[in-house]
Amino acid sequence: MPESKKHQKKDHPHSPYGEESQELIAKTQKRFAVINPSRMCQPLGAVQALLGIRGAMPLIHGSQGCSTYMRFQLCRHYREPINVSSTSMSEATVVYGGEKNLIQALNTITHQYKPELIGVTSSCLTETIGDDMDSIINKFLQNNHNKIDFPIIPISTPSYAGSHIESYDQTLKALVEKITHQNILKQSLKGLKDENKKSSQINLKDKINVITGLLSPMDVEEVKFILKEMNIESIVLTDNSQSLNSPLDGKVDFLPSKGTTIKQIRDTAYSKATIALSNHANSAGVFLEKEFGVKLFNLPTPIGLRATDEFIETLVKLKNNQISKTLKIHRGQLLDAMVDAHAYNYNRKVAIYGEPDMVVGLTRFTSELGMIPAVVCTGTECNKFKQEIELISSQDGHEIQIISGGDQYDLHQKVKEEEIEILMGNSYSARIAKEENIPLIRIGFPVFDRIGAQRIKIVGYRAGLSLLDLITNTIIEKYYDNLKEEHL
Amino acid sequence: MHQREILSTEIVKKSKNKSKQLDFDPLPKKIIETIKSREKHMCFKKKGTDSTPQCNKSSIPGAVTQRSCVYGGARVVLMPITDAVHLVHGPIGCASCTWDIRGSLSSTSQLYKTGFSTNMEEKDIVFGGEKKLLDTLIEINRLYQPPAIFVYATCVVGLIGDDLKAVCKEAEKITSTRIIPVQSEGFRSFNKSLGHQLAGDALLDYVIGTSHPPSSSNPFTLNIVGEFNIAGDLWGIKPLLEKLGIEIISTLTGDSLVEDIARAHQANLNIVQCQKSSNYIAREMEKRYGIPYLKVNFFGISDTAYSLLSIAHFFQYPQMISRAEKLIENERKRVEDSIKIFQKRLEGKRVAVYVGGNKAWSLIKAFEELGMEVIMTGTQNGLPKDYKKIKETVQEGTLIVDDANAMELSSLLKKYNPDLVISGAKEKYLSMKMGIPFCEFNHDRITSFSGFDGYINFAQDLDRAVSSPVWDHIKKPLKAA
Repeated sequence: MPESKKHQKKDHPHSPYGEESQELIAKTQKRFAVINPSRMCQPLGAVQALLGIRGAMPLIHGSQGCSTYMRFQLCRHYREPINVSSTSMSEATVVYGGEKNLIQALNTITHQYKPELIGVTSSCLTETIGDDMDSIINKFLQNNHNKIDFPIIPISTPSYAGSHIESYDQTLKALVEKITHQNILKQSLKGLKDENKKSSQINLKDKINVITGLLSPMDVEEVKFILKEMNIESIVLTDNSQSLNSPLDGKVDFLPSKGTTIKQIRDTAYSKATIALSNHANSAGVFLEKEFGVKLFNLPTPIGLRATDEFIETLVKLKNNQISKTLKIHRGQLLDAMVDAHAYNYNRKVAIYGEPDMVVGLTRFTSELGMIPAVVCTGTECNKFKQEIELISSQDGHEIQIISGGDQYDLHQKVKEEEIEILMGNSYSARIAKEENIPLIRIGFPVFDRIGAQRIKIVGYRAGLSLLDLITNTIIEKYYDNLKEEHL
Repeated sequence: MHQREILSTEIVKKSKNKSKQLDFDPLPKKIIETIKSREKHMCFKKKGTDSTPQCNKSSIPGAVTQRSCVYGGARVVLMPITDAVHLVHGPIGCASCTWDIRGSLSSTSQLYKTGFSTNMEEKDIVFGGEKKLLDTLIEINRLYQPPAIFVYATCVVGLIGDDLKAVCKEAEKITSTRIIPVQSEGFRSFNKSLGHQLAGDALLDYVIGTSHPPSSSNPFTLNIVGEFNIAGDLWGIKPLLEKLGIEIISTLTGDSLVEDIARAHQANLNIVQCQKSSNYIAREMEKRYGIPYLKVNFFGISDTAYSLLSIAHFFQYPQMISRAEKLIENERKRVEDSIKIFQKRLEGKRVAVYVGGNKAWSLIKAFEELGMEVIMTGTQNGLPKDYKKIKETVQEGTLIVDDANAMELSSLLKKYNPDLVISGAKEKYLSMKMGIPFCEFNHDRITSFSGFDGYINFAQDLDRAVSSPVWDHIKKPLKAA
């Protein structure tokens, strides 16, 4: 293949996607530059977690661009009006530290938006100048003579370390840690007042905390559906199922009107167990186990058949409940579809790109379908990710090229080398698919060039079914339809 | 100037522009409920008053501002240069949230759509990022051999004190390509206009005037300044100028190549489309190279016509003037015929405009030509001179707002209830959630609105936005039993 390409005419001398640079990509290795990044920075992960909390306002302590560009990315992905506040740091305030701006911002949000929680994230700017957010927030609380009736949670998210995956995890932990903390409980929080106070601790003990990881609103909805079908009362961390897929009724919510409540977050300390459906967002569960003895079950994200089975089997183990008839039917329908489709999918080489949990889940699922997940790529450098993929690789006998902490330049090279037939990834990977002339299944974040990103489903049997249909029909359209025409 | 005034009155006479007062009578005392210090940032155009809002003040921390940063300002101006590498020197997020977000199109290279970052990490913050930047520059040059690499400074670069200029100079020696520092640390100003100016400086100091091919034999040459080819806007303007016999040396910066901008100093005239971001470049080129400039506007029939005539008159070539007049006559008739069908549905609709700058005034006439009323216009980053221009353009009674945050925007829409909102992606879903039709006029736009053909597209897109039956369903809720 590359041999024939060498003799084709180049289209433009400087085009990275022209023929000449295709050769360059094949020939040249890079060490320093990141070319077409495949991860976001820390404040975004914090914002994503906060968007699933009722009445929460994310506040980025930094330059205006951070919040504006993240809002832009979030708005065009979810197609919802999303608000992210900024402390609007500028030259003058950088010199003297950000205390004045942060206090003013907390004041503005308190009075204008009447939040149930403010999540304050740092940025590279304020981490570098060394603002102590904890003490500034305390000062703000003191200035207001403890009249602030909602929690203000500082979250350290230096943009120059890690990625949005780590900060999503750290945000959940910070929320649980601060809100279950004695001092906060003593305050009469607004978020607790309006809840039914009668719920006794015995009822609470029946509940299961579920950490979803970075999932789309529809996927969180599906997790809740499965729990409901299994008759399990749960607390979902954090529940973006309605805040980011909200019905149109002519009103605008500046803060999520639905989502996990402060009371629910407090109650996580009393639950029977925590199920983390993510290997990369379980720190809150680890904390609850250590601090309050709430047992933690770490499961893979329920994507595809086996992982969804594992989720449901764990629920059975925990509560001894019957498996719902509906779920059994859904499982049977997925199996039926897998059998119907197997011949089209068998040994098709797929590349999967995106957030670690999603990539691991889809690697397992495509392998279950008989496909070869030949290349997997995540933007975050992560040993856990590598181990998870290696496990699938040894269990299912696939050779899998793992890119952990790489960019799309690296992904593109591997897609070429491995002669990938179908790509799964976000909208940014469309250019790779286009150039390699392979179909793309749009999945993950951000998806801005198609409608319905908030409704992309990959979790549970039902989503497995619709995803399987999508993959198979895409393969049929690409690799079989034209075949027929050629023979006619 | 005299000549321009005559032209202008002629065109106004020709256009169907009806001058009528807007229907906020009497004007409400309080525009909306908001924070006291913000009240002065909104006003009505009203006889006997100053009619410009307070502006160019830092946003209130915590209010959900629609503004971005200085880096963002620099990037919007430079990023459309298609064959250059745009390298963001900073932590990964500055690149990953902003690469390829501008709908600028290219007829040649796609390199500008590639997201380059030095990916500064903790150790770079502690020990400085200069070494990494140099290594990255050498590597990128080896991989792509671009004619220029723009290096954008982000917040931390300014804080840790990386000497961007020195590294770029050194890299330029090693690579023999143009390596251009852009000192666009995000926090340098609350107003991204500074970024526009810094981008202008980068072009003026490092690109324009660096290439000297033999000058064109055509005496009628110009640069199109402040046109970024969003959705192909430039391609609606270029053919019109070519029909007049004009040669376009370069565009700053839509669909441009570095080499073309490098010889921009050879042009005889600059025409400025986006006067918010690019007047500075034109003024500086006049100072440095003696190139005069004309402010133009290719949105709307009469403004396009006026712009073409101004350019033809500038060159004082009778044949060009008559060619322009003929072209305008034909095109006006064609466009007016094509938009009739949309005009019927758009007439009388009330529009609210909230944009980054230039469009807050350059679109007004385009709406009026469709029989629509602009009831509100505003910008995130307006300067006093911008609001002066807005005031001169809009009708009596129009609401003018500065730096409105999300909550204020929503209150404004609720109270003044426009039939259509023109804004960008962040405001799109706010408006639509309220059941108010919306038309994208920003980075994400996918239809070209410039020139005569663009105006037909514009009318069609507006019609698409307001005339769909989906808006009627919202008004009919489910009936309870």
